[in-house]
Amino acid sequence: MTDRLAVENLSVRFGGVIAVRDLSLRVAPGEIRGLIGPNGAGKTTVINAITGAVRMSAGRILLDGEDVSALPAHAISRRGIGRTFQHVEPFGELTVLDNTLLGVGRHAPVPFAHAALATPLARAREHDAVRDATAVLERFDLLPYRDTRASELPFGVLKRMDLARALAARPKLLLMDEPTSGMSESEADRAIAAARALAESQGITLLVIEHNMRVMMALAHTVTVMQEGRVIAAGSPAEIQRNRAVIDAYLGEETADAVG
Amino acid sequence: MRSRTWLITASVAMLAVAASQLGSYPVYLMSLAMINIIAAVGLNIVTGNSGQISLCHSSFMAIGAYGSALMTAKLGIPFWLSIPLGALLAAGVGALLGAPASRLRGIYLALATLGFLQIVQVAIEELADVTGGVRGLTIPKAEWFGVRVSEYARFVIVLACCAFAIWTARNLLASRVGRELNAVRLSPHATQALGVSVNRVRLAAFALSAAYAGVAGGLQAIVVGFIDPVEFGVSAALRQITFIVVGGMGSVGGSVLGAAVLSALPEVLRPVKEYSDVIYTVILLAFLIFMPHGLIAVWHAAMRRIRARTISASTVEA
Repeated sequence: MTDRLAVENLSVRFGGVIAVRDLSLRVAPGEIRGLIGPNGAGKTTVINAITGAVRMSAGRILLDGEDVSALPAHAISRRGIGRTFQHVEPFGELTVLDNTLLGVGRHAPVPFAHAALATPLARAREHDAVRDATAVLERFDLLPYRDTRASELPFGVLKRMDLARALAARPKLLLMDEPTSGMSESEADRAIAAARALAESQGITLLVIEHNMRVMMALAHTVTVMQEGRVIAAGSPAEIQRNRAVIDAYLGEETADAVG
Repeated sequence: MRSRTWLITASVAMLAVAASQLGSYPVYLMSLAMINIIAAVGLNIVTGNSGQISLCHSSFMAIGAYGSALMTAKLGIPFWLSIPLGALLAAGVGALLGAPASRLRGIYLALATLGFLQIVQVAIEELADVTGGVRGLTIPKAEWFGVRVSEYARFVIVLACCAFAIWTARNLLASRVGRELNAVRLSPHATQALGVSVNRVRLAAFALSAAYAGVAGGLQAIVVGFIDPVEFGVSAALRQITFIVVGGMGSVGGSVLGAAVLSALPEVLRPVKEYSDVIYTVILLAFLIFMPHGLIAVWHAAMRRIRARTISASTVEA
């Protein structure tokens, strides 16, 4: 079976800094893959490179066997790669509904002239888009916030909106950058349950960056560990927990944190 | 939504009736104010919604004005066709400028658009054979199937175009197009992650705003009967920026409010005409610092207060 996602020999350089070096990664359809590593390991850069948000210095990205490396970011998204953001990138002045409608957008195209003249076609498309967005909001318990501006939401709700918005675009592969950061433990548990349900019920493949080991153990089928831009280990969550190199990497970080 | 459509219709009817009772000078001023509104609606789309500073909006007006006037004068195209064609021409040039401009930000975009304004000014001066150069271009009186269009009819045409501009802009902003324009301003990063091409939206915003400016320019040529290239210089571009800042960025209502209020200003400032650029700049800065959301925010706050009072009054009664 073709991999849903194949990252081949990816390198990303920012000036003299090498953020990701020669990284390869394969994710099967329907898999939930964890990506962990200490701060600065290059996890977010991997996501940014896959989605086309940063330029890669070398390597290839394949989605279902198709090389998407050369495509601009919006075209990659349209091929079916969605993402959420660690710090959430909300459209702050827009309502939760409008944020979600932007996710639905490409599934309800409206010709420009129709939009300008508010023709029946434009109204029908808008009506469908609102219906689809509302259904997504309902699934994530966001209906009470429907008409609230995103900038006025508490962080935990914002994270949920970020996920709802990304899923409204119906991706095949969703890259989640620390989905539970800033959440309470119970919120995090609910988020994990939601993510797992998504992967199972809709066949969405997940690549999840997570700092919280407890979350990772509960969620991921397989875990890839990064350090200083490289993969240092891969395996089941249980194997990873026992892996010497991983323990050292994390202990190293904690020591550094204590000193810093 | 519905109520806004009624508001537009009622305003159009009221203005049409009022103008039939007024003298020719007030009607002329009202026409100019509405032309300013059309231009402001366009500028607000590119600057207020898509977040791209444009210091060459008056150049698109010039392209619409010269384009439609010359189409009528040289090719015999009637004015009712030459104005939309002039708008298309302006939109085309807007798209050409938008292609490189959509890759520039902030101060670089400001400089690029200012450079474009200078190019258009120089082109008008150098192509004096066609444009009349610095001496300007006299426009023959508009005709409708051989009959000269009366002053009142000209007003009604401008009024209809203005209402149409407001209506289409409102429709666009309430649709997916408007959401994408705002999204590009608020977070380009998240926008492209949702499958929307940021560059395409930025380019479309320039073309769209130029189309509105083109209509405004074409109408101005007909109403004034003369095209003065100085009318499309830096001062005009600055004045249009002031319209949308004073009225409210990103809001069609703001464009209308800002352009209407400030169009009355030159009349008030007539005794100190030579300082008008300074006064516009002071107003611009004062609003940027003290009222960044513009007059429309005051209007919305007042509406909210009235609504709240009505609700509390009705609960007391119950």
